[in-house]
Amino acid sequence: MEVELGGSYRVDRLVAVDATEEAARARLRDRTPDAVIAAHVEAWRRRWSLAAIEVVGDEAAERALRFAAYHLVSAANPDDDGRASVGARALTGPAYRGHVFWDTDVFMLPFFIYTHPPSARALLGYRYRTLPAARERARGLGLRGALYPWESADRGDDVTPPAAVSASGEVLPVYSGLEEHHISADVAYAAWHYFEATGDDDFLVEEGAEMLVETARFWVSRGRIEADGRFHLRGVMGPDEYHPGVDDNAYTNGMARWNLERAAAAVRLLDERRPERRRALAARIGLGEGEPAEWLRAAAAMKLEADPATRLIEQFAGYFAREEIDLALLEPRTVAVDALIGLDRLARSQVLKQADVVMLLHLLWERFPVEVSAANFRYYEPRTAHGSSLSPGIHAATAARLGDLATARRYFRQTAEIDLADNMGNAAGGVHAGALGSLWQAAILGFAGMSLRDDGLAFTPHLPAEWRALGFAVCWRGRVLRVTLDGEATELALEGEAPMVVAVAGAAPVEIAPGGRVVVRR
Amino acid sequence: MSGPCLIVPLDGSLHAAAALPIAQEMARLYGGTLAVIHASEPALPAAAAAAATGLAAARFAGVVVEGVAGSPAQAIVRSAGEHAAALIVMCPHTTVVPPDRRIGRTAAEVLRRAPCPVLLVKPLRPPAPWTPRTILVPLDGTPASAAAIHPASEIAARAGAGLLVLHVTGARRDRPGEPGTLGAPRYTDQPQHEWTAWAAEFRERACQLCEVAAGVSVRLFLAAGDPGGEIVQFALAHQVDLIALAWRGTLEDVRAATVKTVVREAPCPVLLVRF
Repeated sequence: MEVELGGSYRVDRLVAVDATEEAARARLRDRTPDAVIAAHVEAWRRRWSLAAIEVVGDEAAERALRFAAYHLVSAANPDDDGRASVGARALTGPAYRGHVFWDTDVFMLPFFIYTHPPSARALLGYRYRTLPAARERARGLGLRGALYPWESADRGDDVTPPAAVSASGEVLPVYSGLEEHHISADVAYAAWHYFEATGDDDFLVEEGAEMLVETARFWVSRGRIEADGRFHLRGVMGPDEYHPGVDDNAYTNGMARWNLERAAAAVRLLDERRPERRRALAARIGLGEGEPAEWLRAAAAMKLEADPATRLIEQFAGYFAREEIDLALLEPRTVAVDALIGLDRLARSQVLKQADVVMLLHLLWERFPVEVSAANFRYYEPRTAHGSSLSPGIHAATAARLGDLATARRYFRQTAEIDLADNMGNAAGGVHAGALGSLWQAAILGFAGMSLRDDGLAFTPHLPAEWRALGFAVCWRGRVLRVTLDGEATELALEGEAPMVVAVAGAAPVEIAPGGRVVVRR
Repeated sequence: MSGPCLIVPLDGSLHAAAALPIAQEMARLYGGTLAVIHASEPALPAAAAAAATGLAAARFAGVVVEGVAGSPAQAIVRSAGEHAAALIVMCPHTTVVPPDRRIGRTAAEVLRRAPCPVLLVKPLRPPAPWTPRTILVPLDGTPASAAAIHPASEIAARAGAGLLVLHVTGARRDRPGEPGTLGAPRYTDQPQHEWTAWAAEFRERACQLCEVAAGVSVRLFLAAGDPGGEIVQFALAHQVDLIALAWRGTLEDVRAATVKTVVREAPCPVLLVRF
């Protein structure tokens, strides 16, 4: 091409990637650059109308939330047929080799459930497609049901490296692949959460119930009711990876109990709504009539309780007797605490990488009295070193729900800085997609205080003083609810075909008609 | 003279003479000329200056000896400027000094004013052969501290040595405010992935800040604690032959605590590169 000095030129090149050259060429057939760009802009406009968050009065917070939404929207493919998921760094960098962790199911998925259910559905499709590998993994350990891998890739086999070389050159065993069995409950939680928020019966019938059943089967074979009459899960590691090989980890037990109960509920729902599919499922996976009752017995006996006097839930058996280390004495600190203290001493101490009890309270908020949540947050928060980027966002959400806004703001800012500050030494590896999801949860589940009701949604807002207003959209069972919160009122606008009920703290629940707009004053 | 010029000042003390074999090896590696200077007032002729060093003439094979006028520090700095010296090799002190003050007045003034890097050699080092096989570059994560990588990598390339980069992190410490500073990770989500990724990025960023001589392998290590003490411990544990440190050029009071500790306690010569 000949060009003239001072001239302005535009060069377009369309690139398609597919499994074969023929398929790639087919993708480009009859497409022009302008049409492709226009379609791209329109697709982003549609997604952004649901994903964008407005924070009036705090530009930095708004920018961080939009940064999170941008990367999350970019990460998931709603048209995927279950062959791919979102890795820990999405597709933004080579770190973590694209492996899929619980980050996707627990930290990112809520964003997709409430802003673009088809993307959430596609991510769950990946877990369903890899269910056979999870069954095989459980079978390999002499257990029943399905044990999802800690790190999953294309086929769903466990691809967790068995060892790590630390920065000081030490070879460290990696326990997460061997002991973080909570991943199976995390996947089950994701499936049920999606079903509850979307009302997608077809998903439950075709895939969700089977995942719930197989993960429940895993738990009843993984633990047992012992002489004390309690169901124990021994030799596990919770999300707090500073403490491998513990018994009765609160997060694992709490999520396993929930998994067992929801599996029984899923079977009951199938019985009620689609009995023929229940019979087909039972025939396909050999589901015995008595199994749901067995799950409920294990759940009822699960070792997990708050001390009646202190209201504290012990993170694992013997945790309270471990060495106390005052983390405040290490401040200011810019490095993970394991690099300072060493993993051996951390394992003997009360220092947490992330607080398993706080995580459990966050996911199952409605199951615990607020006094229990408050007592445990106050106890575990100073013992938590936040060595995981997944930790501060959950602390922000929990502190916000408890009305501790100064703490919530501090953790929100810390989460926002993980990818935006570029001082963590790992920007080139890609964004921390799980942490981005936790930032969204801190804003919507934390500051806006959103929770599910059977007939709609509820909001218990705790907005920081500088947030003059918070605006966002959420999807619920085929409808879109646009929400604007400020210090005095909550404005709700409903798009869709059917009414829904919304409860705002301090006011009676209101039913909103399709196309309707309601202002609830506090 | 051919090739770059290296300067080694000798004041006639046994302490100072420890620098000579190191300087000769560095001159060999650089393919340069070694100039031994002896400062006095007035300046001595070359033969008298050589005699004044107290060393046998055989020690000066292939070496230029000069008598220079002025105080030792002024003479060393001036000679380095006149010869466009690539390196000054000297001892940090040549008399008995208190244990907590191991950089004497002459060395301190040379360090402040030298137009080139200065290689400090422990006084009274036995005259054993020395070749840098393992070179350590401590980095605090600031772009400025990476200034030592290039000269260290050049020595490594010439000597066939390996380059070890050590980042020392610690508690009760704020991140340096210098833009572009990269520290150890605040989060190690999954150590089996995180350390590999961090090490690759840290090494890549540090090496982008300065030219690393071709063919030199760079390995990264992390330690936690007091930087000076950790650098010395690491040097001992890894049998390091040379430590290359970048510094600001200020030794007063509480400044340059790491440099002072390393010079005082390191088991090997220390190359100081001012930025």
